[in-house]
Amino acid sequence: MRITPYVAYAKKNFLGRSAYRVDHFLGILSTCLQFFIFYEIYRALYGDAETIDGITMSMVTTNFIISMGLGMVFRPNDFFLPGKIWDGSISTELLRPISFKGRMIAENVGDSAFNLIFKFIPVFLIAFFTTGIHSPAGIFNVALFIISAVLGYGVLWSISFAVQMTAFWLINIWSIVTIKNVFINVLSGSMIPLWFMPEWIGGVLKYTPFSSIYFTPVQIYLGQLGTAEIVYKCFIQIVWIVMIYLIGDFLWNKGQKKLIVQGG
Amino acid sequence: MSFIEVNNLSKAYRISKRKSGIPGMVANLIAPKYERKEAVRDISFSIEKGEMVGFVGPNGAGKSTTIKMLSGILYPDSGSIKVGEFVPYKQRKKYVGNIGVVFGQKSQLQWDLPVEDSFELLKAIYSIPDDVYRKNVDRFTEMLDMSGFINQPVRQLSLGQRMRADIASSLLHSPEIVFFDEPTIGVDVVGKEAIRKFIRELNREDKVTMIFTTHDMQDIEKTCNRLVVINDGTLIYDGELNGIRSLNGEARLLDVFFSEDTAVAPIKNVQIIDIDNRHRQFVFDGQKVMINDLMSELLKKYNVKDINIAEPDIESIIRKIYNREKVLA
Repeated sequence: MRITPYVAYAKKNFLGRSAYRVDHFLGILSTCLQFFIFYEIYRALYGDAETIDGITMSMVTTNFIISMGLGMVFRPNDFFLPGKIWDGSISTELLRPISFKGRMIAENVGDSAFNLIFKFIPVFLIAFFTTGIHSPAGIFNVALFIISAVLGYGVLWSISFAVQMTAFWLINIWSIVTIKNVFINVLSGSMIPLWFMPEWIGGVLKYTPFSSIYFTPVQIYLGQLGTAEIVYKCFIQIVWIVMIYLIGDFLWNKGQKKLIVQGG
Repeated sequence: MSFIEVNNLSKAYRISKRKSGIPGMVANLIAPKYERKEAVRDISFSIEKGEMVGFVGPNGAGKSTTIKMLSGILYPDSGSIKVGEFVPYKQRKKYVGNIGVVFGQKSQLQWDLPVEDSFELLKAIYSIPDDVYRKNVDRFTEMLDMSGFINQPVRQLSLGQRMRADIASSLLHSPEIVFFDEPTIGVDVVGKEAIRKFIRELNREDKVTMIFTTHDMQDIEKTCNRLVVINDGTLIYDGELNGIRSLNGEARLLDVFFSEDTAVAPIKNVQIIDIDNRHRQFVFDGQKVMINDLMSELLKKYNVKDINIAEPDIESIIRKIYNREKVLA
């Protein structure tokens, strides 16, 4: 596979992201706001208590900053393919001698690289100096955290990929995307840390990809998992990526045969 | 074996049939109705390397669908397409590196970037070697007179400029085949002429195979040597540009100027086209109506200032075809 076109697309997006400055700063602000709202709510809930269910306030804070921060970095463009189907520009995209899926990933990586440097780092620093965020359990944990965060990104991306493919049939998939995002927000632990979920929900969640996205990296960061558990959880992440990607790929192959080019 | 082989190609769409207004909307939400539209039915043709072929037909005739199948975007329902060694819709990624497509109605350039930056992106996408890229950019900039706007963002270009940039962008990778889907739409007379001249030169010098769809018969007459007419999804004519004239039998046209305002009574087997009150055209089949008889009748009945005998132009023949008049009688 020739790599240059994909690098070009990633670079284009990386550079293009800085075009809308106000939006960029407001993006940082909105993540900070969201973080501090949840931080204050949980601070009030904790009151004078050291721990709740064995979980300290600083662990909760760490969970929020990591899952919200990663959420801000990852953010796949759910309307990449649907937008192109909706306005008919999918036809020009298919005329390029490159993989469309590869291009989707490339553009997303370009965006994410930008977000990581110019959004995640400032937000992390702000949170680090204003709240009592946990420091990582060790250098080994940091390395594994990065690996599992990348895998978490893979899970999130493949969910978005599979959902986008439904646009071949439905054209407008705004509602499906919204439902998907509600599931991810609530069940991935970025609003309610998964430690506090009732046991039966936790049991059900084991069989869904949602806890693989942010919560596995959080647990590794905090050193809550032993080596065997880390290997197992990362393996589960890979299984989810492959499974969901294959579903998306199946829809992609079917969808191309169904493709309608709107607007003549 | 020709360069492009198309056999028994068919494609149908399912289109939603929806009544207008609120009742229609409610009905559509609860029980949508669909209609099957056969966009292309059983079309076969073949094209040799270096040919320039014009596809014409009214809106919705199936031209664009055919082009989109030929360029690998759409899958056919049945039938086969072979272009060189490729089956376009099956080997899309490899195949599209060899073709260029110009959509008159959809720009392929990056809206916010200067034209040259779009070209740079295409260079990366198609992995165009530096020397080929430089040579093509310089050549097209000169041929299409783009030096004045190559550094302007695409959104600030006029339609004619954008069209020229679009055409250049689809040729940067030296494709073997170029599809033009209405390349002169919305462009003024001078611009159209420049585009046609460029296309002719490119075909002559590089032996690029070119396939057009257009509504402007001038585009075809000035560039193509072969015409394919599609109507209602079926191929109704495929042959030399001039050959279509004989479809109408021995079509003839009499161009008559009267010296005063004249009302002309209908004449059997003759189609009368009113240009204005003193100028009318009479179209007929030379085998059914004797030209002498018609002329003497006109001269006898009316005050005629001038008469020209001509073959009808292709546009009026095509118009007849569009109106589903019988041409293959």
